[in-house]
Amino acid sequence: MSALTFNSVRKTFGPIVALEGLDLAVQPGELISLLGPSGCGKTTALRVAAGFEKADSGSVSVNGVDITNKPAHKRNMGMVFQSYSLFPNLTVALNVDFGLRTRGIASATRAKRVAEMLELVQLGDLARRYPHQLSGGQQQRVALARALAIQPEVLLLDEPLSALDAKVRLSLRDEIRRIQTTVGITTLLVTHDQEEALGIADRVGVMSSGRLEQLASPNEVYSNPASAFVARFVGSMNELPAVVRGADAVDVAGETIITPSARTQIPGTSILLLVRPEDLTLAPGTEPGLQGTVTSCTFQGAATVVGVRLDVLDVLVNAHVGSSVAGDLVPGQRVSVRIDGTRAVCEVAAAPIEMTEEPAPAA
Amino acid sequence: MAFVENSVGAYATMYAFADSEGDRPTTPTPASRAKRFGRIVPVTIMVLCGLFFTLPLLAMARFSLQNVPMIHLGWSTLFKKWSFSGITRAFGEQGFRDGLKLSSVLAVGTVVLTLGLLLPTALWVHLRVPKARAFIEFLTVLPYVIPPIALVAGIRVIKPHARWFLNSDLSLIPFYVVLALPFTFRALDAGIRAIDVKTLVDASRGLGAGWVTTMRRALIPNLRTAIISSAFLTATVVLGEFTIAQVLLKRTLPQFMAEYQSREGQGGMGLALLAIVATTTLLAILTLATRKRGQAQPISRF
Ligand SMILES: Nc1ncnc2c1ncn2[C@@H]1O[C@H](COP(=O)(O)OP(=O)(O)O)[C@@H](O)[C@H]1O
Ligand SMILES: [Mg+2]
Repeated sequence: MSALTFNSVRKTFGPIVALEGLDLAVQPGELISLLGPSGCGKTTALRVAAGFEKADSGSVSVNGVDITNKPAHKRNMGMVFQSYSLFPNLTVALNVDFGLRTRGIASATRAKRVAEMLELVQLGDLARRYPHQLSGGQQQRVALARALAIQPEVLLLDEPLSALDAKVRLSLRDEIRRIQTTVGITTLLVTHDQEEALGIADRVGVMSSGRLEQLASPNEVYSNPASAFVARFVGSMNELPAVVRGADAVDVAGETIITPSARTQIPGTSILLLVRPEDLTLAPGTEPGLQGTVTSCTFQGAATVVGVRLDVLDVLVNAHVGSSVAGDLVPGQRVSVRIDGTRAVCEVAAAPIEMTEEPAPAA
Repeated sequence: MAFVENSVGAYATMYAFADSEGDRPTTPTPASRAKRFGRIVPVTIMVLCGLFFTLPLLAMARFSLQNVPMIHLGWSTLFKKWSFSGITRAFGEQGFRDGLKLSSVLAVGTVVLTLGLLLPTALWVHLRVPKARAFIEFLTVLPYVIPPIALVAGIRVIKPHARWFLNSDLSLIPFYVVLALPFTFRALDAGIRAIDVKTLVDASRGLGAGWVTTMRRALIPNLRTAIISSAFLTATVVLGEFTIAQVLLKRTLPQFMAEYQSREGQGGMGLALLAIVATTTLLAILTLATRKRGQAQPISRF
C-alpha cells in the first residue's frame, strides 16, 4: 500500500487545465521528485495533496485512507512552500511550535519536540530569532523543521530551494535528503531543476501539461526516457532528421544507425532522432561517418562540449568528449561524427523533413 | 465650523495617500547643479505649504487664546494676554461632556463595526476573488466621491419610516462606517498586500489551524499596523463629522462645537483648534508607531 496516492486527479482553473488525470503512488519512506517545466501543474498537485485546492475529479489517499474531502487543517501533511512562509510575528521556536500548539499537545512535550526539530535542522542556537533575522536558507530550514514537527504522514516540498542562491541550494539539497532519510518520511518534492530532481530523489516523476510522462529512477529517466518530451527535458539532446529504415534502424543522411527505439515506428516515416551528446563520438575527418566542421570547444572539466556543424544536414550537434582527447580539437577542424543509437529516441516529425544538400533558404 | 471637518478630512487624505504610495527611495540626480536645484524646489514648496497650514492655525490661536479685542490683534500684541480660559469654559459645559461621551461611544462602535466587517471582507477578496479587488476599492471610495449631502438627502427620505432606528444615538454608527470606508479599506488593503497572506494562511491551515486560529495567530498579529491605522482613521472621521449628526439631531461633539461657537465665538474657535491639534497629534503618533513595519515585537513565551 502506497503512502500517498493520486487517482486520476483532474484540476482546472477556469479554462486552464492544471492537472489532467494525474496518477501517482508514492511508496512509504520514498522521496519522489516531480520534475517539469513551469506551469505544468506541479504546485497544483502538491496543493491538492495538502488540501489547499479541491480536485475537480479523482481522489487522493494517504496510507489507503481516502482524504479527498478532508479540509486542509484536518489532514496531516507537512508542507514547505516555495516562498518564505514563516510567521513574521513569531520567533523560530514559536514557528516550529505552531502546529504542535494547534494540536493541543502539552507544553513540556512541545518544548522538547521544538528543540529536537531545531537540532535536526542544525538551528538550535537561533531559536529566539525572528524570521527577518535569518538568511533565506535558514528560513527554509526552519520551515522544514516546522513541517516535520507535527510528525506528518507525508512531507510536501514545493521548490523549497528555488529562492536560494546556488551554493546554499546545493548544501541544503543534501541536507534535505539527509533529514528525509533520517526521519524516514514519505516525501514529494517539486522542482523544475532537473539536476536537483535527479540528484535527490529515489524516483523522478516527469510531468508535462498536467500529466505524468514517466516515473522511474533518475538513471532510468535519463538513459531510457519514455517520451521525446522527457528526453528533451532531462539532460540535453541532439536532434537529427532521419527516416525509419527497418525494425531497429534509421537513416541519418545516408548513414544507417542501429537504434532499438525505431521498433515502434513504421518504416519510411520521417522522424527526429534524439541523441545524447555523450553518445556522439568524434573521429578524424578521413574516417567514415557524418562529416562536419568543429565550430566550438567548451571546456567543462572532465568533459569538453564540442560543437560540430554537419555538412549534409546543416545542423549543429554537440558532442561530449573526454577533455584529454578533445585537447587536439580546434574550431574549423574537419571531423567525422559517429552516432551510438542504443539510447536514442525517435520522435515522429510534425511535418515531413526534406533532406536537402543545401541549407534551407532563410525564411 | 466646516473648517474643522475639512481639515480633518485633509489630514486623513494626506495620510491615506502617504500610506498607499509607501516610502519610495528617491532617485539621486546625476549633476550637482540639478541636485542643488532639486533641493531648492522641494524646500520652497514645503515652506509654502507649511505657511499655508500654520498661518490660519496661528490666526485661530490668537483669536481664541488671546484676551485681546480683535481690532488690536497686531504685531505689537503678539505676546499679550494668552490664556486658555475660553477652552476651559467650554469644558465646563454639560453639552461638551455629553458630546464627548457620545462621540467616543460612536468612535468605538464605528471602529469595531468597521473592522468586524472590513477585515474579513478584505481578506476574502484578496484570497478568493483577487480580480474583484479593484471593483471593491472603487465601491469603498464612493462615499468620498458622492457628497455627504446626498447621504443626508437620503436620510431625510427614510426618516419618517425609520424613526424607531434613527431615534437611537447609535444609529449614526452605520453612516459613519460608510463615511470611513475610503480610509479604512485602503489602510487594511495596503497592510494585506504588504504580507503574503495566501502563504501565511496556507501555512497555518497546513499546520492544523482552523480559520479562527489562523486569523488570531497568523493574520491579525501581522496586520496589526494596518488595523491600528484604519482604527485611528475611522475615529478621526467620527470625531470630525458634523452634517449627518446635525440632520439627525444628535448631540455629538462636533455638533456641540458648532452650536457653542455660534454662542461663544472665541471659546468655540479654541475648541476647534484643540480638535485639530489633538487629531494631528494622534496621526503623528500613529505614523511614528507604525513606521517600524516588519520589526516584530518580542514575545517572551519561549
Ligand atoms: N489559483 C490559480 N488560478 C488560476 N490559475 C492557476 C492557479 N494556480 C495555478 N494556475 C494555473 O495552473 C497551471 C499550473 O500551475 P502550477 O501548478 O502552479 O504549475 P507549476 O508549479 O508546475 O509551475 C498554470 O497554467 C497556472 O497558471
Ligand atoms: Mg510551482
